[in-house]
Amino acid sequence: MANVKFDNITVSYGNHTVLKNFSLEVESGKIVCLVGPSGCGKTTLVRALLGLNKPETGMITVGDRCLFDAKKRVNVPAEKRNIGIVFQDYAVWPHMTVLENVCYPLKKQRRPKDEIQKRAMHALEQVHMTEYAKHLPNQLSGGQQQRVAIARALVVDSDVLVMDEPITNLDAKLREEMLLEIRMIQKRLNATILYITHDQQSALQLCDKMAIMQQDGTLCQYGTDEEIILHPANRFTFEFIGVSNFIPIEKGPSGAVLKCGGASPIPYDGEVPQEALSGGYELGVRPNDIVFDPASPIQAHVTSRVFLGSEYNYFLNIGEKQVRVQQSMLDARTRGVAKEGETVGIRFLNTRFYPAKKGEQTV
Amino acid sequence: MKRYDGTSAELAAVDGRKRLNMDKVMTAVCFVLLLIIVVIPIVMIIYNAFFNEGRLELGTFVDQIKEEKNLSAMWNTLKIAIGATILGTIMGVFYAWLLGRSDIPAKGLMRALFNIPYMFPPFLGAMAWDMMFNGRSGYINKFLRTLFGLKTMPININSVWGIIFVEVSYYFPFVFMQVVSALERMDPTLEESARIAGAKQRQVIWKITLPLVKPAISAGALLILTTSLAHFGVPAILGYARGIYTLPTRIYAVIYNSGGSFDGIRQGAALSVMLVVVVSLALILQNRILSAGSYDIIKGKSMRPTLIKLRGAKVPLLILAILTLVLIVIVPLVMIVLISFLKAYGLPLSFENFTLDQYRTVFASNGTIDSIKNSLFASITAGVVCMFLGTLVAYVVQKIRPKGKGALEVISMLPYAIPGTVLSIGVILAWSGRIFGINLYNTIWIILVAYLARYLSFSMKTSSAALLQVHSSLEEAARVCGASHTESLADITLPLIRPAMVSGFFLIFLPAMREVTTSILLYGPYTRTLGVQIYSLRDAGMIPQAAALATVAIGIIIVLNTIVTKLTKDRKGV
Repeated sequence: MANVKFDNITVSYGNHTVLKNFSLEVESGKIVCLVGPSGCGKTTLVRALLGLNKPETGMITVGDRCLFDAKKRVNVPAEKRNIGIVFQDYAVWPHMTVLENVCYPLKKQRRPKDEIQKRAMHALEQVHMTEYAKHLPNQLSGGQQQRVAIARALVVDSDVLVMDEPITNLDAKLREEMLLEIRMIQKRLNATILYITHDQQSALQLCDKMAIMQQDGTLCQYGTDEEIILHPANRFTFEFIGVSNFIPIEKGPSGAVLKCGGASPIPYDGEVPQEALSGGYELGVRPNDIVFDPASPIQAHVTSRVFLGSEYNYFLNIGEKQVRVQQSMLDARTRGVAKEGETVGIRFLNTRFYPAKKGEQTV
Repeated sequence: MKRYDGTSAELAAVDGRKRLNMDKVMTAVCFVLLLIIVVIPIVMIIYNAFFNEGRLELGTFVDQIKEEKNLSAMWNTLKIAIGATILGTIMGVFYAWLLGRSDIPAKGLMRALFNIPYMFPPFLGAMAWDMMFNGRSGYINKFLRTLFGLKTMPININSVWGIIFVEVSYYFPFVFMQVVSALERMDPTLEESARIAGAKQRQVIWKITLPLVKPAISAGALLILTTSLAHFGVPAILGYARGIYTLPTRIYAVIYNSGGSFDGIRQGAALSVMLVVVVSLALILQNRILSAGSYDIIKGKSMRPTLIKLRGAKVPLLILAILTLVLIVIVPLVMIVLISFLKAYGLPLSFENFTLDQYRTVFASNGTIDSIKNSLFASITAGVVCMFLGTLVAYVVQKIRPKGKGALEVISMLPYAIPGTVLSIGVILAWSGRIFGINLYNTIWIILVAYLARYLSFSMKTSSAALLQVHSSLEEAARVCGASHTESLADITLPLIRPAMVSGFFLIFLPAMREVTTSILLYGPYTRTLGVQIYSLRDAGMIPQAAALATVAIGIIIVLNTIVTKLTKDRKGV
């Protein structure tokens, strides 16, 4: 186990700069999820860590070992970096059996034969693939191939394990199982895992910490999942993780008003910071932070209601503005449910205020 | 846990300028080899056609264009190529439809037989037809003349139409094979929907099936056109003696008559430029007319198409198909074998005239044995070298993607569009002492160099297609698992494309074994190839001996093909 440090990394493909002066430090022995929309540079960053592309500036260290330093002209080749990887497309070698695939990294380390055999079988055990040891990859399903790739990454005790969307091809149940398995493996090996995904659900389930990357390749927040959900650093994080509603807000004749495209602005009696009234701001609120309150001045029309088993999902119209509301069963019992076609009063909790996106009408 | 103590391994990895980058080495090797093998000969042709001793001189070129013999040769080349393309395409499509879509019996056997003309060297076929229907002495011609009491020979194969007929019978498989596989991969619901929408069977064929396989037809037709334009063997055997020239045979004649003098070669180079222009025009024209785009409805996986019931037409069509096969496959073969047993050409084909002497002479003659050895050497070497070089070029183009990869691709595919005759002239011009004093003329090496240029694109294509299937993450995964770049190539990439490399080898080895177009201009006294030897024996009037050697050659080809089929089958079984 070791910590991973990216310092001031810049990577470009031709004229297109993917990462610019990117810095991130991943603590030792943690599972860190790198989350961001597709094309934001997650894979580029990981390839730089693996030594598969060469950054123009910066430094990458794992533990106390420098893997890359643009200034000192250090660039440890991929095969000497001792990092395990599970590729997105598994990259299981089709001309080798499952066992040969898993043995390969150990063979390259010139380990004794019986040790190779023992450790490979152990790695296969961890991913429940021992019975397929003699199979060729084309006899396996996508999910099984993915597990072979995971076993191949586990078989060497790497300082760091990188997983690039490793469970996308598994069905929901197996996915849950693999996430737990990855957790257990991490506990046992105490490895540092860098887990890349665009799926926030599995990220929330798995990680100790999350690093949120923005479309332009910059890091916008790094913290525990609670911090990220409860205290998003900016509008991007708030919007990207979880579901969100945005309503334009501005200064009315007496206090704040919400502009919902209807005839008249709706007065808003909640707390609003001063700068949010300077124009061009929006109020952001999560669906489960909207509660029914008949006394509220904000009146909304219920257009649809869906029962999802553990919660109700509503679509309400405030004026012409559609908002989404989630009501937990507990809340439904205490405050009652709203019916389709009804007009209800609603109140916003945990509100946030962000400048509106330019040239874009948010829903 | 494995720890690096930070000294040797990491210091070696310091990103220095000293360390040789394997990618760059491979790219450089590709460029240099392609320059030597492909670019220099082509440049030499163009240079020598227009320049003389460093000065621009268009005289030779203009003289050649004005010469009436050359103009008529060009006209013949076009007539033969267009005629062969149209007839070959019609025949190929018809039989492809018959075997791919109708309920005609014995399909598997017939399909195998229809592929035979593809393996059979066309110039041997031309020899056989000449024996039967030569305008003066053809055996069947003589038979028919006595039978019907005619004054003249009924059929004269030594004509433009005769050449077209023989070329069609050996080139129609180009279209046939393409269309059969397209028909098999076509989604049958497309035709069924048309029937349901109210179209009659005939309308479905014209309005749905044919337009859908048009890309396949077009690809096959293009292959016939370019092959025929550049073809030497058939027009040489059927037309040469009668003064019917095509551009490739005319080039041969010009060089042959000049006794290999530099002036003759220059004239040949000028003619070559004409031939290249004609081929390029044909390619452009073909593109304009037939490239109607490709269709995605033809799927990769094979489906079971609905077969059309022939009903009453079944028996006549079956007889027609069998007759075609007999006519183009069996009759020429039998003729060659029969003639090879004759004591002397022209004697009646009766048992008392038969002997094994021809075979004895063939095997006793050093020239013949040498020609077999030469052919084996040149084609095996060309096959092996091209297999590796083609794979190297394909790897550089597909995986390393250096600057100028487009140029690399074009250069390696260029010889594919350049007629073999033209390529030989380029090779003569380049390697007979004018560059660095390297003189390969009259040695086997010049034939080898020409084969390399001619066949490189074959292996590059197959390796390229295979490499496209090997995702780069497979090699990267090996790197991350601790393999060096070289190790990842050896452990992962090469094993994955090995089958394609092997088939690339055979794609080169088999046609090179029976090659005549290129080597006829390059052979020296001791470096005749198998094809050249048969051609010269026949040219010298030793027709039964030529037939005996041809029989041996056909035997070799059949044996090799069987081995190839066996090998490919084993590969699929794993």
